[in-house]
Amino acid sequence: MSVLQQTPVTAPASAPRRRYRRQDRSGYLFLLPWFLGMLFTIIPFFASLYLAFTDYNLLNPPEWIGLDNFREMLADERLMRSLRVTVIYTVVSVPLSLAAALGVAMVLQQGIRGLPVYRAIFYLPSLLGSSVAVVILWRYLFGVDGVINKGLAWLGIAGPAWTTDPSHALTTLIILHVWTFGSPMVIFLAGLRQIPAAYYEAASVDGAGPWRRFRSITLPLLSPIIFFNLVQSLIASLQTFTQGFVMSGGTGGPADSTLFYNLYLYLRGFTQFDMGYASAMAWVLFVLIAVLTAVNFLAARWWVFYDD
Amino acid sequence: MDRRAVLLAAAGLGALSACGRGFGGGGDDAPDGAVVLNMVWWGDNTRAQKTQAALDVFQRKNAGITVRTEYQDSAPYKDKLATRFAAGDPPDLMAMRMDSLREYADRGALLELTGLNMDGLGENARALAAVSDRTYGVPSGLNSIGFVVNRTLTDQFGVRIPDGDTWSWDDLGTFARAVTEASGGKVYGTGFDLFTLANLFVFTRQRGEDFFTEQGALGITAGTVQAWFELAQRMRDERGMPPAGFMDEAGASAAQSYIAAGKLASQIIPTNNFLSYNAAAGGNLALLRMPGETQGVRRGQSIDTPALWSIAAQSKHPRETLRLLDFLINDPEASQATGTTRGVPPNQQVAAAIRPGLAPDDQVATDYLIGLQGETLPRSFTYPPGGSAIASSLETIATEVEFRRQTPAEGAAAFIAEAKKALAE
Amino acid sequence: MMYPLLWLLSSSVKPGATVFTQPGLWPESWDLSNYSDGWGALEHPFSLYLANSLVIVVLSIVGNLLSCSLAAYGFARLRFTGRRLFFALMLGTMMLPGHVLLVPQYVVFAKLGWLNTYYPLLVPNFLATNAFYIFLMVQFMRALPVELDDAARIDGCGPFRTFWKIIMPLSLPAFATTAIFTFISVWNEFFGPLLYLTDSELYTVPLALRQFVDSEGQSAWGQMFAMSFVSLAPVIGFFIAGQKYLVKGIATTGLK
Repeated sequence: MSVLQQTPVTAPASAPRRRYRRQDRSGYLFLLPWFLGMLFTIIPFFASLYLAFTDYNLLNPPEWIGLDNFREMLADERLMRSLRVTVIYTVVSVPLSLAAALGVAMVLQQGIRGLPVYRAIFYLPSLLGSSVAVVILWRYLFGVDGVINKGLAWLGIAGPAWTTDPSHALTTLIILHVWTFGSPMVIFLAGLRQIPAAYYEAASVDGAGPWRRFRSITLPLLSPIIFFNLVQSLIASLQTFTQGFVMSGGTGGPADSTLFYNLYLYLRGFTQFDMGYASAMAWVLFVLIAVLTAVNFLAARWWVFYDD
Repeated sequence: MDRRAVLLAAAGLGALSACGRGFGGGGDDAPDGAVVLNMVWWGDNTRAQKTQAALDVFQRKNAGITVRTEYQDSAPYKDKLATRFAAGDPPDLMAMRMDSLREYADRGALLELTGLNMDGLGENARALAAVSDRTYGVPSGLNSIGFVVNRTLTDQFGVRIPDGDTWSWDDLGTFARAVTEASGGKVYGTGFDLFTLANLFVFTRQRGEDFFTEQGALGITAGTVQAWFELAQRMRDERGMPPAGFMDEAGASAAQSYIAAGKLASQIIPTNNFLSYNAAAGGNLALLRMPGETQGVRRGQSIDTPALWSIAAQSKHPRETLRLLDFLINDPEASQATGTTRGVPPNQQVAAAIRPGLAPDDQVATDYLIGLQGETLPRSFTYPPGGSAIASSLETIATEVEFRRQTPAEGAAAFIAEAKKALAE
Repeated sequence: MMYPLLWLLSSSVKPGATVFTQPGLWPESWDLSNYSDGWGALEHPFSLYLANSLVIVVLSIVGNLLSCSLAAYGFARLRFTGRRLFFALMLGTMMLPGHVLLVPQYVVFAKLGWLNTYYPLLVPNFLATNAFYIFLMVQFMRALPVELDDAARIDGCGPFRTFWKIIMPLSLPAFATTAIFTFISVWNEFFGPLLYLTDSELYTVPLALRQFVDSEGQSAWGQMFAMSFVSLAPVIGFFIAGQKYLVKGIATTGLK
């Protein structure tokens, strides 16, 4: 609990409170399911926090070792590598995929005939999940003799070993991630849908061009949604696991080049039976994400516009 | 509105069909007083059907015992098993990976198999899962590794396959180069992963060392690791082996393998997969022994297992589970049903009894193994705890060497350092 | 963008393992038996797994919509003591890597006697444990004009009536988004069902799909592709049906 409380994440309200009368009772009533749900959530949370300070091999009872896990992390080169992979992945892929999602959503929001099909097509890569069939598909696309390299060869370019060369594997995952921009796109679509058309009509009457309309209407009114996608993508991206797991067959290879922080955590916890260390890693990531999110919320005061 | 109605109707139908299922309604419980054993393993649907056929026989012979199985492909097996053990809800009987055995056994999570009759097993098979002098697992089947060569390709390019019983690593290099040259570079002569431990184990033993010693220490020397890396680098330089990055492990299986696709003329496989590799590669594979077996300080190949059977120490029905395990290992009817899906039956009499009924492809792999079992081979020792961290760092370093970011000597030194560190923890 | 779907379709009609030897998209020979064989290849007909998945998905959507929208309205529009703290806590639940929670969660559900039932997969969805959807809805609700609430209050509406009559209908895009995302994530969820369901009679589609092939066996690849294609159809169908709530409607009818 203490860690959670110390996390200075700001709540959405920035408006002066005195405008409102207190609504404690109805507030708690609305939150009732969530309070009950927190019982489920909070027990495992506390358990893992405790385990972070123990030596726990999953099979014998955990032994309290204080800060040893955290000390070990400081000297762990693989951990540093995994942090680097995760940060590079996040810094590159989050802005790119959000920009792609917003751009495509702007085009697809219009009421043109046949657009539902296009929307589905753009969403398709994100619908696939990571079933066995999809894993094989990636192999087919990105293999040394894969579709992409055949296409490149046709253009006279010798394609690289996309997934097996340590200098390219992470790039491949970033491309894949940007390609699956469907989820933020859907959220943007829903957000655009909520902007009252009257605003645009008024602006058109005033002679505002498309760029003006985008700058002065779409961006500010969409800012809560952009903010949501940004916060959410950052949290999700720093916790990336499946992409690395699937592409490398669970190893983070080639040569640790796709060893995401969470993948390394998984390997420590479940392959090397070191769940105490994995829990410590989890809580360090938790604090990192919490701080980053808090900074996001603070910065939001300058660019996110709410109506309340 | 119509669509909503349809959705509601679908939901209603779904809920109806699920009545009692999944909501604690039961319907899946065993008859009163019966013992229900939970058995988990990895594999595909084909293996499931064969396993179920054996279990049907067992349940007919043992009224009052019901066996409930769970299976999936191998990828999610580790975490599922570990979670169930950690939460105090382990299965009764489970497939156990060789490299996880001691992680579980050393911590008292597995039942010592004192009550199991293992008389029919050869000495190597019996010792596979021995931790000091206690046994915590029994091989579900036996395998080894072997070299498969695609005869269709060698015939096409007019390259003679060396004598698989006596060939050396140099012979492999010559053979591989010949294939690549004769095919004009369309087919590579051979390809295998440097970081697959089973491959390196053989090479290490041939040089008189053990990768892991009986005491669980690191037996391999830097010189051997370096020689292994150099061996591959030489073959890559001569183009007998494909360039770095060509081999792709993700989701590898017989059907996806390069030998099936006709891009490699030979590769190393676990022998219990011979059937599926041969089917995938067009049915004309030859199964050779590993190179270097007659030139080395001693033999390198060993009798291994794709998976062990182990029993949870916490099992509520250890007696019944032991009876099931005894049936799977020692009863010919069980192996008649399962065939060689997990390798050659470990019980030698059972293996001999089912051999005539096997498909010809299965007989090839079975004979290979029966042959090996009759020879004096070095023992294969269990992976010490920390073994998986070592496997991980070998993979990283081998890739670095493959892409020439490290020399074989640097890689070997780095590997020994990291492996020692992993074992010290 | 279409390539994955076409590839999957093409792989599903290629006989046996030829999918790996015939790389072209257009199959050299067609074999529809993958569908009929795959449907009956496992212990139960594939329709059972589809039905199981559908039940879980539909109930999860209902649960998520109800519980998350309630919580979201509370966070977005009501002022109560501890709101900031609870909101931070709620966001915090998204930030801890799930792998370290697996074991404690399993223990909790085992203690409740919920193993081998759908409860571990469903009940949390009715209790707003998915912070992603709450946060999503909060952002949408905060984008709605606050005058709406004020007007409703002046008309004598309590918070529940305001929520039900005014905010909910206007939040339709957020609801549609939540429903679509829930469908996809629950439909594809693998590890939860793997851990909590023992009986193959209760299995969901992703569990069933992972019984077709393994690297050690001579597996039925074609059947796996065929059933993967079958299992993709409901997701695409649901998206196409639901996406119109994302774009058309009162607010944008005037837009050219």
